[in-house]
Amino acid sequence: MAGHSNWPEWIYIGIVVALMTWVGAEAWEVERLIEHVPADAEIIKVTGQQWFWTFEHEDGTKEIGELHVEAGKAYKFEVTATDVIHSFNIHDYVVLIDAIPGRVNTVWFAPDEPGVHDIQCREYCGLIHYNMRGTLYVEEP
Amino acid sequence: MKGLFGLSLTLVALMITIPAAGMVFAETDEPGEYLDRRVLIWNLFFRMMTVAFTVGAVVSGTIIWQIWRFRESHPKAKPTPYEGTDW
Repeated sequence: MAGHSNWPEWIYIGIVVALMTWVGAEAWEVERLIEHVPADAEIIKVTGQQWFWTFEHEDGTKEIGELHVEAGKAYKFEVTATDVIHSFNIHDYVVLIDAIPGRVNTVWFAPDEPGVHDIQCREYCGLIHYNMRGTLYVEEP
Repeated sequence: MKGLFGLSLTLVALMITIPAAGMVFAETDEPGEYLDRRVLIWNLFFRMMTVAFTVGAVVSGTIIWQIWRFRESHPKAKPTPYEGTDW
């Protein structure tokens, strides 16, 4: 249309593009940081099955329904499942990753102080999903 | 004037995005450091919520203002050619 000015639209587009880029870059950067596993992280194999969690430490020690770790150390979870899809969640440490049959997903964390925390399944996996819980014991080194 | 404004806006956008992209692409294969994922993830969440609520307030405020300003009964309302000039 003659005499029509569209500069406000260009400003709008510029602001939206800048915001989206910034939001994407921030999220990408955090994802990169938290996926960067420390070299000395101890590997713990986590297996989900209806309806409990099994943990296997590097030295072969196995635990069912509870997990003992030391404060100040890094741990890398290799998470899988034997039957249906579960999701391994330590809510207090913002650890959350799907446990999928035939696939190993990894997530790492470094508990900083002793304490007791809940472990739970975060993907509906059947009748007793609500009680597919475990306990994380973070102990003094 | 318009071009100058667009140029400066583009420059500001580049000044914000280039360093952010640089940090991301600077990734190496070296092992990561110990970090508290709780802090990183929740901080990201709160930053994103700040952006979301700010954008939401600006967008809804603009819509509310437009509805108020361009209603037929506004004292300064002007008919457009589409509505006819016989007001």
